[in-house]
Amino acid sequence: MREPAIVFTPTLDLLLVFTISMPIAGWAAIRIHRKFLCGAYTVAGLAAAGAFLYGLFLDVSQGTVISTPHVGVFSAYLRIDMLGVFMATISIGIGLAVAIYSIIYMEKDTGLPIYFTLLLAIVSGMVGVVFAGDLFTLYIFWELMCVSTYVLVAFRRGRSESIEAAFKYLMMSVAGSATAFLGMSLLYGMSGTLNFEGLALAFGQAQPNAWLYLASLLILTGFGVTTAIVPLHTWLPDAHSVAPSPISAILSGVVIETGIYVLSRTCFSAFLSIQAQWLAIVMALSVITMVVGNVMPLLQNDLKRLLAYSSIAQVGYMLAGLSIGTQLGLTGTFMQIFNHALMKGTAFLCAGAILYTLGTRQLDEMAGIGRRMPITAVAFTISLLALIGMPPLNGFVSELIIVTSAFQANLAWLGVTIILNGILSAAFYLRVLRVLIQPIGSEKVERAREAPWVMLLPICFMAGLIVLFGLWPDPLIRFTQQSVAGLFSFVGQVVG
Amino acid sequence: MLESSYYTVFVFALWVIGIYCLATKRNIIRLILGIEILINAADISFISLAAGMEGFVDPLGHSIVIVSIGLAGTVSAVAITLIVYAYRQYGTLDVRELRHLRG
Repeated sequence: MREPAIVFTPTLDLLLVFTISMPIAGWAAIRIHRKFLCGAYTVAGLAAAGAFLYGLFLDVSQGTVISTPHVGVFSAYLRIDMLGVFMATISIGIGLAVAIYSIIYMEKDTGLPIYFTLLLAIVSGMVGVVFAGDLFTLYIFWELMCVSTYVLVAFRRGRSESIEAAFKYLMMSVAGSATAFLGMSLLYGMSGTLNFEGLALAFGQAQPNAWLYLASLLILTGFGVTTAIVPLHTWLPDAHSVAPSPISAILSGVVIETGIYVLSRTCFSAFLSIQAQWLAIVMALSVITMVVGNVMPLLQNDLKRLLAYSSIAQVGYMLAGLSIGTQLGLTGTFMQIFNHALMKGTAFLCAGAILYTLGTRQLDEMAGIGRRMPITAVAFTISLLALIGMPPLNGFVSELIIVTSAFQANLAWLGVTIILNGILSAAFYLRVLRVLIQPIGSEKVERAREAPWVMLLPICFMAGLIVLFGLWPDPLIRFTQQSVAGLFSFVGQVVG
Repeated sequence: MLESSYYTVFVFALWVIGIYCLATKRNIIRLILGIEILINAADISFISLAAGMEGFVDPLGHSIVIVSIGLAGTVSAVAITLIVYAYRQYGTLDVRELRHLRG
């Protein structure tokens, strides 16, 4: 019998093939002294994966669920629904923007083949996580994603701060993964299966017992580390600020949100019977997360560190949407994930462009840089205003949906907290804007020039999308609603 | 349904030891060992629970553990590489000295 050529859907196969072949292609590119070919190869791989993802989108858009490889002995397989395609779109999109940007940004670094290999590995890991049909497959791809990020945070290995940040990140994140893995083992011991459908059927109607509560807490703690829920967030500002800027964009824009996806997925499959109590814990954590994430940046003078803290605040908004637990709340959460990937991605890429031309991350050394780099400054302004939640930009739409769903679910205090936090966040975002348009302060800024066009291309494209989805959010809302309906599919099965 | 046995008690004891090790030890190598203890706790849990199925030993648990051992090896390799670079930068293995980042 002939083996099937495609193992895990064309998209993921292609990403993995490009990941594995990248070192060889990169080595060849370095040998013929065409460094940009490393980046071009990555961009080609991601673009091809994106094209195949569209085919997958057409397949699942009728509400069907693709299971592949067909269930064998171990029932470890991929289960692709709209939500998986939605999250994979974000990962591949941001990956593509970051890959284009890195061609110039990382030009002067050595080890480019390794860099692009790890970049592809992060994207394949994320796509694998969101396509996974059981917790075991999810865990493998999760580790693929995490291990690649540890190495990329430490990519500039000659600098003590990157080694320190990477070490801190590795310690916390691995301890978290191991804890979540222990939680999975308890779920496995209780039900004998790890696939989401089986877990939903096994626990949906059963009387919850102490083990299930324990497993849910272990999984919340474990994935909460990578998601940067507040008591476990301390690695994030270090790792996101010292990583190379494109990597910060992908870490803040998509990697931490993958954790939110995992939490929502487990919440709506394994923890259906204890959902109310579990979501109450998440709600309390979300409020703490957004308050800490909005107060800490006020004290920062490092631009990338400030943006990293504001990611924590955004995670707080997403968790708030999840903790409301209604279909509208989840729609808000996943729209916020999509929008945050665009907004924070643009913001980090702009910060990277400033770092590239000026060589500093300190806010007071970049006074007036907006006058010398007008295109970057305009895109940066758009992304920061969207992060505040200004109409008519996309951040406003998703925050509005979360707040509306809070009011609908009789949680007015949560909605008010989110609005107050939005106002608080304006304080530090506007401070960055003031620095951009101040009179020019130093000789270094005077001599600065606009970043190269290859770097401006993804920045401008993403800034354009921010405005587009702010003015015309309907298609995005529809796409998100369909995706979230997939998340709720087990609820109907269990009740009905 | 899951019942508490000596294995579960052992697993949680190991988990507590691992967390204690991460919280109190200063030597970076010991921290890596703490991480390994945490992962092994989860592995032992999978193995013992796979034997608890009715009538047979579930191969799924064992295959998960084999993959997990591989992943643990990868993680330690990355961690030890980082330790080498940290030692070159800071000249010490004391984790309290790694504090250039603040705030």
